[in-house]
Amino acid sequence: MKLSTLISEDCSKAAVLFNSKKRILQYISELAQQKIPSANQHEILEALLCREKLGSTGIGKGIAIPHGRLPGLNNIVAIILVNQQAIPFDAYDDRNVDIFVALIVPDGENKQHLETLASIAGKLNNKAFCKRLRQASNDSELHQVLVEFDK
Amino acid sequence: MRREYEGVFLIKNKLGLHARAATVLAQLSTQFNAQVTLHQGDKSAPGDSVLALLLLESSQGKEVKVTCTGPDAQDALLAIGNLIEDKFHESE
Repeated sequence: MKLSTLISEDCSKAAVLFNSKKRILQYISELAQQKIPSANQHEILEALLCREKLGSTGIGKGIAIPHGRLPGLNNIVAIILVNQQAIPFDAYDDRNVDIFVALIVPDGENKQHLETLASIAGKLNNKAFCKRLRQASNDSELHQVLVEFDK
Repeated sequence: MRREYEGVFLIKNKLGLHARAATVLAQLSTQFNAQVTLHQGDKSAPGDSVLALLLLESSQGKEVKVTCTGPDAQDALLAIGNLIEDKFHESE
């Protein structure tokens, strides 16, 4: 699966500046809502918060993959954010987080969800990719990094 | 003497080795003085890397082999085996 197809350019946000987990998740739900007209922002935020309550989606190395399930959704909505500074996110390795790949996924579809996670993990496991994400100074440049590493 | 233990476990939980399960496993792996590796088919992943564990794409019904080496290898294998058997503490 190509990350540049999964994440559209208007869902790629470089050098944003948020100072807390809650603020980041609010911004993610705002962006996601624009892609899911049938849902409201509050509902999306609740899904994300609900998942964080089960355990942080901070997966180490300064990366988090906040996600939530929405019933009745047809497609996965994926968003990438790079924060200007790493913030506390209760990651299991205790590192602060600055790269966020957020997913709003349909209910069920467990196997597809694992495939999506694996595609994302495959890319994020590459240090050079993460370095380029952190260096991107605007949204278009950030999306271009996704395109480049999909080749 | 190099202490190495291995076991094969069936992924029973409905969601498989998804992000939360992988995180719980990675947290557990780091608690032992042992090197933990998960193998599935031709892929393998260090037990303490969530990203690498997600790459295994271990879904419900898949078998994973866990190998542990180091002073705490036996305890680590027991604990990780129990976690997988206990569906990563998930209800289904």
